[in-house]
Amino acid sequence: MSSLHTLAFEVGTEEIPAFDLHKATLQLEKLVPAALDEVRIPHGAVSVRTTPRRLIVIVEDVAEATEALEEVFRGPAAKIAFDAEGNPTKAAVGFARGKGVDVESLERREENGAEYVFATRSVPARETVGLLPGVLKGVIEGISWPKSCRWGTTSEYFSRPVRWLVALLDEQVVPVEFAGLRAANLTRGHRFLSPGPHEVPTASALLSVVESAHVVASEGAREAAIRAGVAEIERASGARAELPEKTLLEVTNLCEQPTVLMGSFDEEFLRVPEEIIVDAMLMHQRYFPLYDADGKLTNRFIVVSNGDPDHAATIVEGNERVVRARLSDAKFFYEEDLKRPLEDYVERLDEVVFQEALGTMRDKTDRLVSLARHLATDAGLPAADAADAERAAHLCKADLVTNAVVEFTSVQGIMGAYYAQAAGEGGQVARAIADHYRPRFSGDDLPASQVGRVVAMADKLDTICGLFAVGQGPTGSSDPFALRRSAIGIVAMLEAGLPVSLAAAVDASLATYRAAGVPFDAQAVRDEVMEFFVTRTKVILRDGGCAPDAVDAVLATGVEEPALIMARVRALEAARTDAPEAFLNLATAYARANNLRDAALGAEVDGSLLVEEERALLDAVERAEGSVGAALSAGDYPRALSELAALRGPVDVFFERIMVMDEDAALRENRLRLLNRFVGVFSHVADFGKMAKGAK
Amino acid sequence: MRTETATATTARREAAGQLPPTFQDVIMNLQRYWGDAGCVVLQPYDNEVGAGTNAPATTLRSLGPDTWRTCYVQGSRRPTDGRYGENPNRTQHYFQFQVLMKPSPDNIQDLYLGSLRAIGIDVDAHDVRFVEDDWESPTLGAWGLGWEVWIDGMEVTQFTYFQQVGGFECSPVPVEIAYGLERLTMFVQGVDSMFDIVWSRGADGVTFTYGDVYLENERQYSTFNFEVADTDFLFREFNDREAECLRTLEAGLPLPAYDSVLKCCHTFNLLDARGVISATERMAYILRVRTLAKAVCASYMRHVVGMEVPEEEGGVVAPGALEGKGEDR
Repeated sequence: MSSLHTLAFEVGTEEIPAFDLHKATLQLEKLVPAALDEVRIPHGAVSVRTTPRRLIVIVEDVAEATEALEEVFRGPAAKIAFDAEGNPTKAAVGFARGKGVDVESLERREENGAEYVFATRSVPARETVGLLPGVLKGVIEGISWPKSCRWGTTSEYFSRPVRWLVALLDEQVVPVEFAGLRAANLTRGHRFLSPGPHEVPTASALLSVVESAHVVASEGAREAAIRAGVAEIERASGARAELPEKTLLEVTNLCEQPTVLMGSFDEEFLRVPEEIIVDAMLMHQRYFPLYDADGKLTNRFIVVSNGDPDHAATIVEGNERVVRARLSDAKFFYEEDLKRPLEDYVERLDEVVFQEALGTMRDKTDRLVSLARHLATDAGLPAADAADAERAAHLCKADLVTNAVVEFTSVQGIMGAYYAQAAGEGGQVARAIADHYRPRFSGDDLPASQVGRVVAMADKLDTICGLFAVGQGPTGSSDPFALRRSAIGIVAMLEAGLPVSLAAAVDASLATYRAAGVPFDAQAVRDEVMEFFVTRTKVILRDGGCAPDAVDAVLATGVEEPALIMARVRALEAARTDAPEAFLNLATAYARANNLRDAALGAEVDGSLLVEEERALLDAVERAEGSVGAALSAGDYPRALSELAALRGPVDVFFERIMVMDEDAALRENRLRLLNRFVGVFSHVADFGKMAKGAK
Repeated sequence: MRTETATATTARREAAGQLPPTFQDVIMNLQRYWGDAGCVVLQPYDNEVGAGTNAPATTLRSLGPDTWRTCYVQGSRRPTDGRYGENPNRTQHYFQFQVLMKPSPDNIQDLYLGSLRAIGIDVDAHDVRFVEDDWESPTLGAWGLGWEVWIDGMEVTQFTYFQQVGGFECSPVPVEIAYGLERLTMFVQGVDSMFDIVWSRGADGVTFTYGDVYLENERQYSTFNFEVADTDFLFREFNDREAECLRTLEAGLPLPAYDSVLKCCHTFNLLDARGVISATERMAYILRVRTLAKAVCASYMRHVVGMEVPEEEGGVVAPGALEGKGEDR
């Protein structure tokens, strides 16, 4: 066994975008071992460190050479491989070529009583150092970037220009070449604190050279340093920072050596709605806002610097000036917006396109009002609430053309609520405007009131129906309008008790598009939209841990209202959990009856032909027909299920004692009619057959 | 309004006997620096443009294989950004300092940092960052990757490696550096309003501020752009300029044809500021400008660069280009 070496590889770049860098880091952890394994270089642990200016890979215990390898492949049978004269056939030539050997070198050997040809391929041992340039170049080219560019006169692509390469196998430089660069043993440090170049004496020293040049080389270590710095400031200031994951990742990958600093702004700006201040700080400046013990925003913030800690005061001062400019902008916009009532902005929504074929946000607003009216009526909202819902629907998009929202997009809805309140709209209207984008993701809070939910549902459903109508529904992984998320949001609101019919709402929504002259096949689009909701509902139920057979059993009855589907699946699962044995028996009996069922015979049972067990079953079925029907029309699905359970005894006895397929046709057919009738009782509750043993 | 901190900074500098560079010092220092780096120091293009990028020295000269290096100040107009001189950070007219180098030099980031030192910014004592900001101009059929450069959190420069212009691959790749001169000078001088920027300071101590030079301009143009400009005239001008562009292209003259593209852009921007373009029309106008811009680029490739360009070239747009990031310069 030859001795083992350390491989160090660094791709030095101009600043790689934060999120792309994170993804590349994850890719490298797989790419590098795979590339080494591909050419069979034995190696130990692979570790990846990245900063915006470098991708570093360290591989431990790299063997000096690959091992020699002899591979034997069995080919076609000898009688196929050679003709009568003993000459190789096309089959033999093809096999040899496929394995990269001469056809003359094929051997004939017996295996399991038949003669085959065999090819033996020898791969000699190769020196690692000779293989590595190709391997490492492959790694560079193997990273897939969301966006990549060319630079200078090169034709290669990378996230951003590559400026240096380090590749060392212990002390030996591995001559990797990429984009006109050749690897050497020179790295660079922090752009300002220790630019370099710095010589790397040996592979195992790369990380320490880089770290002594003010570079915290791993994402994890930088994040930890930032968290520690934030905690320190929290301790010292008594305030609490908010660290959204996305901003934290971005900040982590925007520096090579983080220093966590605190700045402040004039308290006067706290009069501007908190949401704008937070948006300006988080989204635009990547600062972390600080909150006091009561969760109220303070006039202090945290900034993570990549600069020299000795100049912290200058850096804080500069950042404070930027915040001041941003916040005076925000304040200016806010105050400008307040000069006109929110109502005034509604007209200007005709400047904002909703969707090319579906008109502007002004058009959408009109549809929302009409759909909100339908939903409020269907939900039986009191007149005052219904009026609020219509009003909120009319105003909910108006803030899209206000200065503050154009500048700080994440505060859409929220600003509308502030402006509504300032214009004297009711509190419920304002709150519904703020809430109408909710739920924005799975598990998000729902709008606080039924009024809010009506507007939120109208908004989401209008988008879904409109896009399906113009053939822009989601396909595969492509869902540019986030229709799936909208549907999930609607289902969540329906399940939480918004008492409206989805099917009726879809019809109402499509009617608004038809009235606007959008051409589409109403029936086909309606079916597509309902199917889309059913699928979403199924996914929600499965993600929530419901058994697929229960979902299928409920769906088999043709119910399409998501709230109904969800309630029934849950009740069905609860019934099964309560009495698993009895439930399974009933399901099995149902499946048996359903298999025998012959719809052509109808369900008119001739009472005169019945024996005692059949009579008992018929009585039970008749009782169940009444009670199940009553329970369903009362919306009491669990009771319907328990009524069905009463059939278990009689049907068990029936199957135990009665020979259904009697030789006498009259008896047989009468029994089948009885079973038809038995099955019929279940038809509006669930297809129990899907839940019988072996049904899956 | 000067705040305490800004005043403190200035006071410190004044005590040390060094006044920060004036607006015109910043411009002259940048011109000297980039001139020394081999750039042709051009004078501003004499046509309304929305950004330095739109001047032909960048847009058209980015095309083709020849080496090109230039820098210039460009007065830029964005009528919808007018605030009647009341917003300290936003105006309908402002200045960019534009650098274009093709092919992009390998040490371009260091060259850029050197230019900041040249205007008195000690980059080692600040937090200078390159923050992802890609550029796409649907109207020019152009895009590139790069950053906005932050100094202590303030965006002062756009830095872009052009990949395509007019639908044509840029090869070699030009790098564009566009400084916001007002932002940069505000940073250097430590002032919070662009109107407080010291534009010039004579040996006798007489100073002119940016406000002295441009505040009245902002007020008048904001009023003109938003309230006064004759929309019938502008609609007509757009149509006439479009026709003139096509006629000029038929004569095989992409350079003068490009002037008409710029006129169309500016006319469209004015109509937009007047609020007379609806959403659907908006798309249609952008498309018309794009068609012209691409035709000019194709003509430039044919007549100036000397490359064979199939007829349909220059009309191809990446799908979704318009939904992408909007025109931001």
